Amino acid sequence: MTIEERIALIRQARQLVGAAMVGGGLPQIEAILRSADTELHWALWNLGEPVAMRAELPDPPAPV
Amino acid sequence: MTDTRLCALSPDSMASPFWNRLTETMPRERLDALHLQRLQALAHYAYDNTAFYRAKFDAIGLKPADIRSLDDFKRKVPLTDKSEFIHLQQERPPYGDTLALPLDLVAHHCETSGTTGVPLAIPYSMSDTVRYGESWVYGYWALGIRPVDSMYFAFGWGNFAGFWSAYWGARRLGCRLMSGGGLDTKGHIQAILRLKPTVLVCTPTFALRMAAVAAEMGVDIANSSIRFTYHAGEPGPTALPGMREKIERAWGAKAGELLGIAEVDAMAPGCPLGDGVHVNEMNVFTWSLDPATGREAGAGEMGENIVTGYANTTQPLLNYRSHDIVRRRAACACGRTWTKFEGSVLGRTDFMVTVRGTNVYQTAVENVLGQVSGVSMHYELVLTHEDGNDAMTVRFEPEPTLPPQERERIARQAADRIHQALHVRLNVVAVEPGTLPRFELKTKRIVDQRPKELRRALDR
Repeated sequence: MTIEERIALIRQARQLVGAAMVGGGLPQIEAILRSADTELHWALWNLGEPVAMRAELPDPPAPV
Repeated sequence: MTDTRLCALSPDSMASPFWNRLTETMPRERLDALHLQRLQALAHYAYDNTAFYRAKFDAIGLKPADIRSLDDFKRKVPLTDKSEFIHLQQERPPYGDTLALPLDLVAHHCETSGTTGVPLAIPYSMSDTVRYGESWVYGYWALGIRPVDSMYFAFGWGNFAGFWSAYWGARRLGCRLMSGGGLDTKGHIQAILRLKPTVLVCTPTFALRMAAVAAEMGVDIANSSIRFTYHAGEPGPTALPGMREKIERAWGAKAGELLGIAEVDAMAPGCPLGDGVHVNEMNVFTWSLDPATGREAGAGEMGENIVTGYANTTQPLLNYRSHDIVRRRAACACGRTWTKFEGSVLGRTDFMVTVRGTNVYQTAVENVLGQVSGVSMHYELVLTHEDGNDAMTVRFEPEPTLPPQERERIARQAADRIHQALHVRLNVVAVEPGTLPRFELKTKRIVDQRPKELRRALDR
């Protein structure tokens, strides 16, 4: 797997985790999914991707 | 037979000499482009979320969008200092106007060790602690420590960020953790003999203290289960080769070290070559300031390390004065492209004294002392101000086995060696063995007896 393919999969995983987070009532599950998204954001950071300072914030536009 | 899926990391990862080869060997142009993007994002983040940075930027008419290059960031963003943060925290405890996140996201309260005066309160969110811990893992991994290892923490925790971050890193690495907690020195040694950890984590002087106590107990600690020792908190085996030799001989282990700044990050893990530390450029951006000219110091020149942290998003630190004197180098034979500080920290701007026109750095003196046979690890550097000039006196305990009539000769020898190496003559005095204070957290080597108005504001 290339780095680019890995990055694309992690971005996709973040979208899936984000979708699973929608809707309340299960604080435990929300906390776990927030933690998962934080780790995925951190993985992108350490793959040299331009991501936001924190997982909760929107990513900056891709550099031109 | 163990299921091969039940392991901390895959065989491929376990075989890697790097924790993250991609970024640790990333070309400089790519690293700098990443820094620019991250510094711009951080400037926006700090400006939007903290009253402290908004006021600081507004006071000089600076907008985050004005930062278009790394040079812009270095020159336009005002320098910050620990004293400002302490002042704000004292005004409005616990964190003043420096907080960038709501309190419900603050997951961990830590503090600096208070070596230079009042401790600084350091808030972290949960993700900050993960990022901070990662800096330790680069160092653990480079030394050869792996998830199969077991790590013994010989310290009493408290609120000191250095200890907690070592733990956050060990959690990430996935090795087996053992805490010495509140045990005394003998208790730590007995626990190591009983639990058989492979890695000892503590301050470097405490590793030597433990070895000395083990010898008094009749324990052959060099043949214990410990294969690695890892240190931070004060100049250790990277800054002081003599100390490396003593620790490695005493413990029969390989010694490593990282340079951390409690309120920023465990920012520079040790190089596996043992002669410096590499800045973790995924967590911090650094440059050097020539304190004499106020301009940037280049590669190979001594300068104050100015650091910006990406890991602490709760209390961001931008262009933060570390007061650590470093000499940076771009390339390293280990393959890492991350900036290297040769010999880690060479001294402190606040403790540097100029004796008869020569700048004298703490670690330079310590390095010479470590080479003089008969000088023990217990010494202190006393700073005074006499007749309008700074002066430094070295007070050392001789090795207990040294005959008393030999002490003066060893003191003269140490003074001569310092003169040869540093071109300055210091007063060197031998004191009675066992009379200098012992420390279990950070050893206080500098005793600053200069008038208060001559010290850095923070230490008055």
